[in-house]
Amino acid sequence: MSVTVDVTAEHIARRIASTIDPVFAMIDGWRDVLERELSGPLAGALTGSTEPTAATLDPVVAALVSAELERDGTLITGAGFVAAPGFLVDAPWHLAWWLSGSNTFGAGPDPRLRRLEAVSDPDSEQFRDYTTLEWWRVPARTGTRHLTGPYVDYLCTDDYTVTITTPVRVGGEMAGLVGTDLYVARLEQVLLPVIRESGHPCTLVNASGRIVASTDARRATGALLRLDGLAEALTPLRDAVTVTDATSLPGGEAVVPCGDTSLALVLEA
Amino acid sequence: MPQATGRADATRAVVFSPLEGAGRAELVEQRLTDAIVAGVLRDGERLPSESELARSLGVAVVTAREALVALRDKGLVHTKRGRDGGSFVTHDRDASMRMIDERVRALSRIELRDLSLHYAAIAGMAAEVAADRASEDDLAGLVELDARADLATPGGARRAVGRFQLEIAAVSQSPRLVHEELRLQAEAGPLLWLCLREQDSRDRSRTARLEVIQAIRTVQPERARRATTEHIAAAVEWLIDEKVRLEQASPIESDEASAAATPEGGRP
Repeated sequence: MSVTVDVTAEHIARRIASTIDPVFAMIDGWRDVLERELSGPLAGALTGSTEPTAATLDPVVAALVSAELERDGTLITGAGFVAAPGFLVDAPWHLAWWLSGSNTFGAGPDPRLRRLEAVSDPDSEQFRDYTTLEWWRVPARTGTRHLTGPYVDYLCTDDYTVTITTPVRVGGEMAGLVGTDLYVARLEQVLLPVIRESGHPCTLVNASGRIVASTDARRATGALLRLDGLAEALTPLRDAVTVTDATSLPGGEAVVPCGDTSLALVLEA
Repeated sequence: MPQATGRADATRAVVFSPLEGAGRAELVEQRLTDAIVAGVLRDGERLPSESELARSLGVAVVTAREALVALRDKGLVHTKRGRDGGSFVTHDRDASMRMIDERVRALSRIELRDLSLHYAAIAGMAAEVAADRASEDDLAGLVELDARADLATPGGARRAVGRFQLEIAAVSQSPRLVHEELRLQAEAGPLLWLCLREQDSRDRSRTARLEVIQAIRTVQPERARRATTEHIAAAVEWLIDEKVRLEQASPIESDEASAAATPEGGRP
């Protein structure tokens, strides 16, 4: 069911998309560099290695993500590459992930850019199969970018986080993924002024209907927005189908997708 | 990014999480002792180095060293020198049981009930909020955790309870509740879940878990809270009964022991 939505709402939805789009573009850029390095005529140009190894790839990833992690005013707090199990010849399971200085997890008294310490030995009791987690599972299934969260990242940084991940493909197979973490508090700070411009009561939700930000102070970030028909209206977003048409709910609310962010703006009647 | 940083297993993860308001070797020693006697750290397992321990617990290296020496004196770890050296867990089942029993006797009923009340406040609130905030995926994750629970052993049942409670806190979307849950699991868990020594208690912990899952599925926050707090209340009642059994089985003899086991209301 397509409806005509206030031009302002469409405009706000586009503004939200354009706030997040640079982050998407950045990750896509990292993906392109890695895909070029791992296959095709330029394979091994940066590492000098024709075989994919953690040892040679890690410095490439570090160089890709560290500049953005250290940039003033950046939205992101962590970023890197996660390898598909068995893809790298010297590391069956591998995370090349860096945290920025604004990320205080395990940082000690002087937080600065540093690598996340990960357990990559599957025989260790502390090993966790990352391919079962949403930020891996969904892009692996859909073959495209996914926004996970908001969620409490208790396995890593203890913070309220959004993680964006996109697959890196080599010879038609998923070789791993690149991604980044954003603090929800920081995201809300950036997005609230945008959604307030609409002048309508409206709420930004993820594809599960979880509230990211709302003009209504009583709608808590992290709570589920429970509206008749909302779950159905968000189904295409969960399946990573890019939809641009607004839909209307039985209660009169309008649901406007925000570009291909998988977020949607819900305008109350 | 949630992944393999060694925090996957909640009951283990809390062992090396920062200690609050402390820089004392006794606290480090107590936490590691609890983890070893509860079987969270396994026999023969290598502990992090002094400097790694100091960093993850947020204490000075000298404090971590002092704690390791104390653990060695208690026979809970042994140290090997050389390239493959380090401190290794020595888990003696009988010695562990004795140590836990001592701990239960040393704490007053008031302290035990207060600890469980504090934990119930956090876990109950987390369950209440989680019932309102769980998505379909969250629910599927909780069901999956329950399906993987090992109810055959005390250690397995403890890990299952720890992981489930931590996941509930995460589903509540509150970083603070997650943080408190982890902290209290470290402090209260080794005592509170002693009841999981018994198959009967392990079965009841599963029933409580299913009740919470059902409450979340049907979005009944009050029911989720009640199931959680009643589960914790039953655990502390078992613990206090156990304390009575221990005290009756071997009345306190030494001055040191009687000072440690001063009845509630008294100052130890």
